[in-house]
Amino acid sequence: MSPTAPPLIETRSLSKTYLVGDVRVAALADITLTIPEGSFLAITGASGSGKSTLLNLLGGLDTPSAGTIEVGGALVSAMDREALARYRRFDAGMIFQSFNLVAARTALENVELPLIFAGVEKKERRRRAAELLDQVGLAHRAQHRPPELSGGEQQRVAVARALANGPRLLLADEPTGNLDSRTAREIIGLLAGLNREKNLTVVMVSHEEGLVREYAQKIVRLKDGRIDAAEGTA
Amino acid sequence: MRFADAVEFALTSLRKRRLRTFLTASGVMIGIGALVSMISFGKGMQKNVTAAFETSDLFNTVMVMPGGPGGPSGDGDERVPAAKKAGEAEAGKKDSVLDDAAVAEIAKIRGVRSAYPDISFPALVSLEGEEEFRLVQVVPAAVAGSKTVEVKWGRAYLSNDEEGVIVSRTLVRRLGTTDPAAAVGKTLRVTSVTIDLGRILSLGLEGLLGGKGLPVSQDAHDFPILGVIDVKPFGGGPSPMQNDVLIAPGPAGRIKRLPITSIWDLFRMRGGRLGYSAVSVKIGSLGDLETVKARVRDMGFTTFALADQFAEITKAFYFMDMILAAVGMIAIVVAALGIVNTMVMSILERFREIGIMKAVGAGDGDIRRIFFFESGAIGLAGGVAGCILGWATSLLINRIVNFYLARQGVPFIDYFAFPAWIFLGAVGFSVLVSLVSGIYPARRAARVDPVVALRHD
Repeated sequence: MSPTAPPLIETRSLSKTYLVGDVRVAALADITLTIPEGSFLAITGASGSGKSTLLNLLGGLDTPSAGTIEVGGALVSAMDREALARYRRFDAGMIFQSFNLVAARTALENVELPLIFAGVEKKERRRRAAELLDQVGLAHRAQHRPPELSGGEQQRVAVARALANGPRLLLADEPTGNLDSRTAREIIGLLAGLNREKNLTVVMVSHEEGLVREYAQKIVRLKDGRIDAAEGTA
Repeated sequence: MRFADAVEFALTSLRKRRLRTFLTASGVMIGIGALVSMISFGKGMQKNVTAAFETSDLFNTVMVMPGGPGGPSGDGDERVPAAKKAGEAEAGKKDSVLDDAAVAEIAKIRGVRSAYPDISFPALVSLEGEEEFRLVQVVPAAVAGSKTVEVKWGRAYLSNDEEGVIVSRTLVRRLGTTDPAAAVGKTLRVTSVTIDLGRILSLGLEGLLGGKGLPVSQDAHDFPILGVIDVKPFGGGPSPMQNDVLIAPGPAGRIKRLPITSIWDLFRMRGGRLGYSAVSVKIGSLGDLETVKARVRDMGFTTFALADQFAEITKAFYFMDMILAAVGMIAIVVAALGIVNTMVMSILERFREIGIMKAVGAGDGDIRRIFFFESGAIGLAGGVAGCILGWATSLLINRIVNFYLARQGVPFIDYFAFPAWIFLGAVGFSVLVSLVSGIYPARRAARVDPVVALRHD
């Protein structure tokens, strides 16, 4: 939280190019960023500016075309598929605009998913999942399936799931995009609370700058895949 | 990811797509069912034939026939050099006659339990007015009372001189008595036909063609039916006990009969002496087979033992099994393609779910295992159901076939055999085939790019 906190994430000259037909399209170019542990960073920009691509790279869902990503001393950009899966499982929790819950599983079972892949024994993971749901205020909805939950409730389940294996980093891709403004404020409030109380590093992608400005300590604005501006409020 | 969790994931997803899982598993079931019934049929045939051989004492039987080049029959490859060797060593042995002295000598060879001439003659047999033309076989009492001849109703004759005959159930039925037990005690008339060879010679060709006819005379004897033997399934083949009327040597000697049964007998005349066409030799154990055969060949005779042929028969059964299995395999291949199809469809449907699982930390191996177990579970379910189907189908076919054959007097036979390894093997094979079918879909699922999958609706 303090500016002197050690960096959790460091990217150097990060770029990502896609091949669309025969044309190379640069989604990200030359992104060099340092994110201190325990900070709340917001990435903003117009749609197509590359913010989701950057978040996917930070979350280990995608691999960069060039440049490096270091998270907590580990070189994520050099990881193989198996190491990336482990990184996603234990080190980087993610939530999405469309929640990405498994519709056929209950809220509790959705929270259990990362614990299953971590090999946690059934009783223990049930207990931990229930505890996490309680933390996000959804203990009473544990046995409901996503279609029976409101948007805000679904996003809370997603947050609980992202925290299941106790990561130091939470990545949020437009977490309020599908929510009304009151619920959006609640969700961001939840993330800010986790950031404050648990020293959780939060990186959030959003195009709602007004809302973001109230909570984030630092805002990075992307334009055409490059850092356009960076401002710190702290 | 724990093993149990992967299994649970697989089962949950199969349960969610119940109809498709059922249909895919049904494909496997039919394939495995076909394979199981095919193989069990092959094994059943083998078991029945082997059992028939064993109970009929055939493995312990060596048929001895007059030897020497130009003999009426023989067991091919082995005989010629053996006979030649014997001929070179002791000239004159070539002319060995298979007479009573030779039979007695054979009976004295170590390992031989009994030796008796294989004599049969054609005769008209009649029972209560019904007539049939049959070969009557002369069998010593010792053999008639052994397990070679299983008398089911009544009894065998006790001495070589006892008046009476043993008849087959088939003959009794043909002669109009349906209940074999009722036939015991009835009187069978055996009428033989003889030709006076001496008179043929004196008549000469002119006489024969001159319309005087053959000097034929008939000789009728009445014998009580002492026992009836049942028809044995798969009892066919070169058994010495396949004739329908058996008689002891004593009473047989009193029946005048044609001394020849075929044209070959004329060539068997050695120096005017006519030996037996064949002698059955029973040996105590299979271990003595080779030495007995060698001794008999040294005497100048030809031998034939079914035990020698058994290796060939076994080979033939392997071949039959393979053909039957190949038919079953076609169904399995179709079922395997069904699994591949179902699993690939499943990937497309669960594309997003796979992406979510990867996003929350599932490794390639986890996804691969879930899909692998899914196809394995289809294989297991289909395999078990296939065993039941194959077994039930076989049972039904067995019933129907036996129902129709029973009308023709064939006793009940289990045409299918189900040793435990058939079921275990079938289920194991089914799971294996399913896992192999799951390799491609599982790999494809594991390679799903989470970024693409999460963008997908």
